[in-house]
Amino acid sequence: MESLIQQASSYAGSIDGVILLVGWIVGFWFIAVEGIFFWLIWRGRAKPGVKSQYITGKEKHLKRWITWPHALVLVCDVFIVIGAAKVWYDIKLQLPEADSTVRVIGQQWAWVFQHPGMDNELDTADDIFTTDTLHVQNNRTYHYRLESRDVLHDFSVPVFRLKQDAIPGRSITGWFRPTVAGTFDVQCAEICGIGHGVMGGRIVIEEASEHAAWIAQNSTSAQ
Amino acid sequence: MTLSTRNPGAAALALAALLAGTACSAPPQGLARGEAIYDTCSPCHGSMGEGTQRLGAPAIAGLPQWYVETQLRNFEAGYRGAHPMDTVGIRMHSMAQVLRQEGDLESVAEYVASLPRADLEPVLAGDAQAGAAVYAETCVACHGPAAEGMEALGGPPLVGQSDWYLLRQFQKFRMGWRGTNTGDMFGMTMRPNSMLYTDEAVVNAIAYVQTLN
Repeated sequence: MESLIQQASSYAGSIDGVILLVGWIVGFWFIAVEGIFFWLIWRGRAKPGVKSQYITGKEKHLKRWITWPHALVLVCDVFIVIGAAKVWYDIKLQLPEADSTVRVIGQQWAWVFQHPGMDNELDTADDIFTTDTLHVQNNRTYHYRLESRDVLHDFSVPVFRLKQDAIPGRSITGWFRPTVAGTFDVQCAEICGIGHGVMGGRIVIEEASEHAAWIAQNSTSAQ
Repeated sequence: MTLSTRNPGAAALALAALLAGTACSAPPQGLARGEAIYDTCSPCHGSMGEGTQRLGAPAIAGLPQWYVETQLRNFEAGYRGAHPMDTVGIRMHSMAQVLRQEGDLESVAEYVASLPRADLEPVLAGDAQAGAAVYAETCVACHGPAAEGMEALGGPPLVGQSDWYLLRQFQKFRMGWRGTNTGDMFGMTMRPNSMLYTDEAVVNAIAYVQTLN
């Protein structure tokens, strides 16, 4: 997955792992089932002197073509459920202590970000507000408080493998820990009106000194 | 007998040339193109550009083409509508991004300018007589004696505009949500003027402008 899209958060690898697990299992069964179908078609082709016959499928030796794969698929489901539940528990049910907290506000059709200023406290006078661009520090754990000003949106950062609905009237808390410095896409992943397609933003992941300089430069007044 | 059966190679070449021509040709510009693009604007600005107060979308029908073009460029560049608190402006900042093809911005501005000015009901109650003095003192310099606008100074016409929208823009200039970016030269001219008057004085001036409609 890393070769398709970069991993830039502490949990991106875990999520990719679940997707790959599902992909491999489903892929195996897809190829196996298609192979058996075509083999059966070939095996049951018209032959001189052989009459076609009606098969009810009730006989034991025929039924096993259904029951065995069914049982095997259920076994595979157990692996998928265990893998997915572990990732869900680690990412969604755990909330590591935050080094910093940002507020992410969706509105038609842009993202507004509220960063803590020099005091590293949100909702104080030196907070930094930006439109379209979120600044964070690399290798630091962030809590985000996700809100919407109008309709449903979805805060999606593909390189983080982060995707969370924003619901009007609610403040949803989640977390992320960037692991790669750089500038990456933020998008809205929930149809939110005529401008949904242009509701993009950027996340700028900076090293400590660079981020501190940005905070110092901007924390005196809102942009 | 058709061309393709007589000479399939030539027919295939002709078809390929036709398809290539279709794919490469730029969309037609002008009023027709502007009308087509306007479908994107009408959900907020109304099918005839009459505006929708509920959405904070102003009447734009009949605004001069130069002004619509300037403001679309300002929105596109983030000179306007990029302030994090300007919920309504942000919407327009985003929508301006859809005008990506060359000539689209000019085409839709031309179409908007061609629409008949909307008949708007005032929603504010100001003292037009008191407002006349305010208008004569400051606004007239850029917006003209009949509030018809002055392109050379970047002053848009104020006649034919909703009173609630004029007041809101005045407040945005005053709060620094508009007119603070150095790329918006005319907006920066308006901002200091917006600090000269209270809302009450502005409502009066707007009431005076309404008498010029």
